[in-house]
Amino acid sequence: MRALWLVLGGLAATTAVVVGVAAALVVGGGGDNNGEPSSTNTPQARTTGTPSGSTSGETLRLLGPDPITMDPACASDVDSATYIMEIFSGLVTIDRDLKTVPDLAEAIPEPAQNADGTVSYTFQLRQGVLFHDQSRQVSAQDVKYSLERALNPDTESPIAETYLGDIVGAKDFARTGEGEVSGIQLDPADPYKLIITIDAPKPYFLAKLTYPTAFVVDSRQTGNSSCFSNTNWQRQARGTGPFKLKEWDLGQKIVLEANDKYHLGPPLIGRVEYNLAGGSGVTMYENNEIDVTGVGLNDIERVRDPSEPLNKEFHTQPRLDIWYIGFNVEKPPFDDVKVRQAFAHAIDKDKLIGVVLKDAVIEANGILPPGMPGYNENLQGLKFDPELAKQLLSESKYGDNLPTVEIASSGRGASVGPVSEAILGMWKENLGVDVAVRQTETATFFQDLRDGEFQMFEVGWVADYVDPENFLKVKLYGPSKDNESKYSNPEVDRLLEQADSEQDSAQRLALYQQAEQIIVNDAPWIPLFHDEYSVLIKPYVKDYVLPPFVIPRLRYVHIEK
Amino acid sequence: MAGILPYIVRRLLWAPFVLLAVTLATFALGRFGPGDPIEVLQGQYNNPEVVARIRQERGLDDPFFNQYGRYMWDALHGELGTSTTYLGVAVEDVIFEKMWVTVQYNLLALIIIFAVGLPAGIWAALRQGTWQDPLTISVLLLFRSLPVLVTIPILQYLLAIKLGWLPSSGWHERDILGLKLGIFDKRIIMPVLVLSLPGIAGVARLMRAQTLEVLDQDFVRTARAKGLQEFVVVSRHVARNALLPMTTIVGFALVGLLGGSLFVEYLFGIPGIGQFVWEAVYNRDYDVIMAVTLITATAFILVNLATDIAYGFIDPRVRLGGRGGG
Repeated sequence: MRALWLVLGGLAATTAVVVGVAAALVVGGGGDNNGEPSSTNTPQARTTGTPSGSTSGETLRLLGPDPITMDPACASDVDSATYIMEIFSGLVTIDRDLKTVPDLAEAIPEPAQNADGTVSYTFQLRQGVLFHDQSRQVSAQDVKYSLERALNPDTESPIAETYLGDIVGAKDFARTGEGEVSGIQLDPADPYKLIITIDAPKPYFLAKLTYPTAFVVDSRQTGNSSCFSNTNWQRQARGTGPFKLKEWDLGQKIVLEANDKYHLGPPLIGRVEYNLAGGSGVTMYENNEIDVTGVGLNDIERVRDPSEPLNKEFHTQPRLDIWYIGFNVEKPPFDDVKVRQAFAHAIDKDKLIGVVLKDAVIEANGILPPGMPGYNENLQGLKFDPELAKQLLSESKYGDNLPTVEIASSGRGASVGPVSEAILGMWKENLGVDVAVRQTETATFFQDLRDGEFQMFEVGWVADYVDPENFLKVKLYGPSKDNESKYSNPEVDRLLEQADSEQDSAQRLALYQQAEQIIVNDAPWIPLFHDEYSVLIKPYVKDYVLPPFVIPRLRYVHIEK
Repeated sequence: MAGILPYIVRRLLWAPFVLLAVTLATFALGRFGPGDPIEVLQGQYNNPEVVARIRQERGLDDPFFNQYGRYMWDALHGELGTSTTYLGVAVEDVIFEKMWVTVQYNLLALIIIFAVGLPAGIWAALRQGTWQDPLTISVLLLFRSLPVLVTIPILQYLLAIKLGWLPSSGWHERDILGLKLGIFDKRIIMPVLVLSLPGIAGVARLMRAQTLEVLDQDFVRTARAKGLQEFVVVSRHVARNALLPMTTIVGFALVGLLGGSLFVEYLFGIPGIGQFVWEAVYNRDYDVIMAVTLITATAFILVNLATDIAYGFIDPRVRLGGRGGG
């Protein structure tokens, strides 16, 4: 999935092994642990319009993450999405400016409100789009088949309901698999017309359709396959995306070849070769074995040095994510807002980021990351103020009798990592509170987190789609099942609900900003920082877009040697 | 030698019980331990209903012994289950390929370790009391003490970036007579080097100690007294006896091959079994973990047995049915 929970200690330990970085966080490592960011930055090489050049024979060599699956209906991880985004496509997609744009559809449809409160989108499909083997045209029936296949319980998709559950009838169908999804209608008179009806106005619905779950697969291939069985077709998976899957050697190599008939404009490079087996990214890059690599904290000071030749090839770009400390507001002592505020005011973020993280990240004031619509520069964060922190703590209902406090972190390694260590030190120094650490292994960590087992936890969140709803509503709306803080403020809930159905974009963002400010003051979270990609890109690789999450992006790349 | 057949049979009869214990323990650790493969797949979007549905369909809710029995029954028929690390891929379709990669570079390293380590050990022992012995041993000790996490980046820097002789990492197999072989590609050189250096040191030191011990024995003195040439004394009497304990080491080293070396595979980007099992554990990929356990345990039992049998053949004491006091 594009969004994925990042865990300070955990990923750190993995990535540390991989790139030989002995620090808490590998910038550019993010969700995938291969050092090559699955989506990353340049000083956003922006050329507008669709590149209209023709495909060259050049090959781009990358260190790629090892995908779990090539089945769009089943992919729930960044690693798999990285490839699926290039091979398959759906009704709509995201362009490099992160705008939702038409893909198989001719245009972005306007939502039409129905009398019963549901909302319909009428998609008119492009004609003449062929599957990669050139043998068959894509019609509305293929889209319907693909969506229903993803939802069908026989497919056993772990995530289809999450992305397609807004469609009328989808949830029932996902349970029974009987009949069809009533919210997906064909037009008998026009094989290129598809009407999708969702249960309520949801401005973010189209953004959800840019995710692989909604991509079109060839029914002749996927026949009786599910996520767990008859998966051999995936080795020759064919879609309608900008690249064809030429070769997939499990755990070793993936080769993509340009689809020169791609309907949004053919890719500018001929081939992309991914090495899936890992290795030392920066070393391979220096030795000219790969064209792009992520940079870990170990190498970051070297590549930042202007006298170092590599410095000219070094780029950074913010990601749409946030790392934070969350409180379970139902568990003492964090059921008292003053205790939460005290803990927040006791953290010196300047020091944390400057010293521990070598300025490789961006300080977080609020919840939304820079680059996200609705990001508020003027948001009032809880500033470092040890005096105020102490005062708040003594005013709290616990006063000097604070119960034992424990922070949960997820990890594979034995050490808590420098970030946690620094924060624990600050609490000790500024509040006089000793906080214990409970380190849990990743898989267990998230289970316990959802079960509300922890008093306090450190974790991260990455955008699924470019909408503040994906942060504020998903994580901090009272009834949301992903709200692990159990935070619930009726005023915030009301604002978030209102934003859901507000059609005026400026108004809508203002509502989110209001909600965000209240949340920050209530301190169910202590926002820490937003990641930044740190990447080396060979000078002959042009327009290597580094988006904040996985999008189809390789068709923009060109190589000029 | 007459007693060896019943011995083998007795040992083989034990094998299923050992396998049963090992697999049962591994299976239980997976099923009763925390974490769940379906939850891992869902990532952040936990939907308990979907998890429950898929768990049920995949038989993960069945009683423990039903699941275990089903797994073992399938395994006996060569079906090792389905991976969740590579979703839906049959375990047997992926692990043998990965083990083969690991076996290749390890086997090559093993051959080099013994080919260099054994003569080096004997050589050092024969020069005991000269300056060559402590020098050899100190150099070897240095190699032995350097962890691969240190040697790998140094070698990559020197041999790849500075000198440009070798690629810094990677793995490449050629199709030779229907066999996928990575041993003829220069990418294998660095990993083998990294594994060989400390291995040579270990073997050489052990061999030196053994040789010294044997050199002190009466039969060596006798051999020399008979007027045999020094070369014959060393090769026929000394080396042969000193090699005995090495048999055990070769045996276990062979099994170790299957486990692979996680760090070597990660840092050199080798798609072997070490990396894969590591991933499998974090994905709660039960079937992969079980299969690797099953195969490793079987190999261990067989190698152990083979070692014992080999002793019978190469130990002159065993063959002569015991010597009465030298």
